Amino acid sequence: MTKTEKLGNWYDKNYKKLLIFPALLLILSLVYLGYFYSQNQDIIHKDVSLTGGTTVTIDSSVSVEDLKLELSKTFEDLVVRAISDNTGQQTRVIITVPEEPDAIVPILEDYLGIKLTEENSSIEFTGSSLSQDFYVQLQIALITAFLLMALVVFLIFSKSFKIKLLVSILTISVLILFVLLKGIYLIIPFIGLLLIFYLYIKYSVPSFAVIVSAFADILMTLALVDLIGLKISTAGIVAFLMLIGYSVDTDILLTTRMLRRKESVRQALFGAFKTGTTMTLTSIFALVAALITVYSVSPILTQIFTILLIGLLFDLFNTWITNASLIKWYVEVKQ
Amino acid sequence: MKLTWRIWMLIAFLIFSLISIFSIPPQFLEKGLIVKSVEQNSSVFDLGLRAGMIIQEINGQTIETIEDYSNSMSIFSDLQEHKLDIKTKEVEIINLFSAEIVDQIQLEEIPFTRIQTGLDIRGGARALVGSEEKLTNSEVEDLIAVSQERLNIYGLSDVKLKRVSDLSGNNYMLVEIAGSTPSDLQDLIAKQGKFEAKIGNDTVFRGGDEDITYVARSGQDSGIYDCRQSSEEQWVCLFRFAISLSVDAAENYAQVTKNIPINATNPAYLEKTIDFYLDDIMTDSLLISKDLQGSDVTQHSIQGSGSGTTQKEAYDNAQQDMKKLQTVLITGSLPFKLKIVKTDQISPVLGQGFIRKIFLAGLFALIAVSLVILIRYRSWKISLALLVASISEVVIILGFASLINWNLDLPSIAGIIATIGTGVDHLIVILDESRNTSESIKERIKKALFIVMTAYFTTVVALLPLYWAGAGLLKGFAVTTLIGITTGVLITRPAFADIIKKLSN
Repeated sequence: MTKTEKLGNWYDKNYKKLLIFPALLLILSLVYLGYFYSQNQDIIHKDVSLTGGTTVTIDSSVSVEDLKLELSKTFEDLVVRAISDNTGQQTRVIITVPEEPDAIVPILEDYLGIKLTEENSSIEFTGSSLSQDFYVQLQIALITAFLLMALVVFLIFSKSFKIKLLVSILTISVLILFVLLKGIYLIIPFIGLLLIFYLYIKYSVPSFAVIVSAFADILMTLALVDLIGLKISTAGIVAFLMLIGYSVDTDILLTTRMLRRKESVRQALFGAFKTGTTMTLTSIFALVAALITVYSVSPILTQIFTILLIGLLFDLFNTWITNASLIKWYVEVKQ
Repeated sequence: MKLTWRIWMLIAFLIFSLISIFSIPPQFLEKGLIVKSVEQNSSVFDLGLRAGMIIQEINGQTIETIEDYSNSMSIFSDLQEHKLDIKTKEVEIINLFSAEIVDQIQLEEIPFTRIQTGLDIRGGARALVGSEEKLTNSEVEDLIAVSQERLNIYGLSDVKLKRVSDLSGNNYMLVEIAGSTPSDLQDLIAKQGKFEAKIGNDTVFRGGDEDITYVARSGQDSGIYDCRQSSEEQWVCLFRFAISLSVDAAENYAQVTKNIPINATNPAYLEKTIDFYLDDIMTDSLLISKDLQGSDVTQHSIQGSGSGTTQKEAYDNAQQDMKKLQTVLITGSLPFKLKIVKTDQISPVLGQGFIRKIFLAGLFALIAVSLVILIRYRSWKISLALLVASISEVVIILGFASLINWNLDLPSIAGIIATIGTGVDHLIVILDESRNTSESIKERIKKALFIVMTAYFTTVVALLPLYWAGAGLLKGFAVTTLIGITTGVLITRPAFADIIKKLSN
């Protein structure tokens, strides 16, 4: 027996037990997010683009510590950080406060002894009501994106036309109710959501497996992003949207190969694994290369790439343990 | 080797995209400077110079850089009139010009490609203007019309105004100005612009064409007429300009002034003053000559002042205040109070080198991908084919973006990156399917394209909501990704499948 065969036999025997790991991690993430919510009244650390306030970026190598000390006399809620180029030389400082530009710009000009012009600085301001609107809308966009993605997966992998129609109508009604209803009434679309997931399990286990895996990706990424204290901007939420698209690619590949296979389950799974990991690894390497290059120039792209990178690492885990075990289980029961 | 129609289609799309990006003949071969904006109604505008023209020569000097241009225009530093012979690619203009022309034309170097970058990269200012209450569509359209007029009168022409709305049904006016920003932009767009002339508590006339039929903006009837030093570090400049009142407003003026007694200490004037209010704040107060008492003449003069620590500063401030006042007198006020909900002022200098970094990031990412592919498949032909397919997708997105004049902003670039990412994923699916030997090649490619299409639809539906969320500021991401993955699944990926088929035969 070769090494790969041994590994294959071991996997065939233990693959269901492997599901314990994602289950544990998922529960851990949920518990952490619950704890996080109780501490912060929200599930993420929001940055200024989502809470409202001013960001001033200045071309300057002024000491960040001194500047912070000076500004903290006036501003309570203050973030000052430096951006350095690839040689470690500080090129810019970024100052963020929840106040309007008029409150911070004169003080900065006094301290630095220069006038802030478009030649040496950028000033971005978002009003707090607008940023709250943005946040709500992006949350809706995220939920909509996820449910529509789930619907497409279901439509493709389920069989009966009647059920397809039912799930489509249900999904769209739930989405509309999510947008229209507020407060306690949101319980109605949530019940609808549970019903949809029940239909997924009952009529298409493979699509349920895909969706569980994508959901786990997002939840685990969210938990880790919170844990490392990343402040999420509008772009960061867009990164989560991108993650939905990226993470289901490998799941769809796996599911198609397993359901439409002409070879043995083991061969199909192994083939999908080879293709899928190549896909995810190329993405991960590309992201690392891009991250190193843009790190010094764009906080926005840096955040997008960081979140995607974390998400793809979890995707390797969830596609090849969570989704793979579930679909293998399903295929073997059917046989 | 015979090429299939799918490969030909890819080649055709690539050629179209390259033409769209570089135009024919290629833009980067063109010499000269492109006119970014010309002030409307300036003499050079009347002689036919328009934005978009390419200036090639001034007074026989070839113009290739901004320095060449400033050298040629330096003759105006004596503030005298000079003859200019401006040769553009389209027309030749020969005339005497005063020094004002320097401020009336804005030029920039001819861009290398037709790709346009967004404000967050190129630099400029953007403001999102709303109101305390929800604005209706037509209210925002009105707001845009008034703002457009204000900005034109003010002499800003390179400004984009448009209505944007978001998922919760809020309407906003989005203002975008490329390049440098006037410091008083916020005043100009967010002030309601309510002008009132009051005597005591009586409003005599208001800004807008109902009460004011004409506002002098040039010549003898408009300008700064006096500058003096008021204290050691304080200069004051006074401006005045003539306006014509409508008959009704003039009658109103006569009625109000009729019974005002003559000032006891200063008998040439009346006891009460005429006070000008801009957005409920008094900006100036003038004595009323007793000759004007009860008179219904329509000709009046508006006066005001600007101050500063130097004479020049005072002069500039007075000039600016005058322009602002003239603007609101002409356009009138808006029926609602405005609120700037978002402003971004991005430095063009900070944006420099950014594009280069992005290209480097893309290049390094592609090299990283190719290395992984090379290690996995151990075939440089396959790596190369994948690299070509992936670069083609980027070229087609850029071509399409320049065709529809889409401004590539940071979200759009993130979208292109997302496309490269999913694109490479799909190419790998096709590659591996085609190398699987248990089925016929046709079956395998069919299965691969099924996976690709399914993945495509999930991404499309995941992106759609982004089109509306966040007042459209993140639209770029959805747009470039949709262009990218759609042309990807329709053109590059099937062509790549054919190339792989050829390679494996």
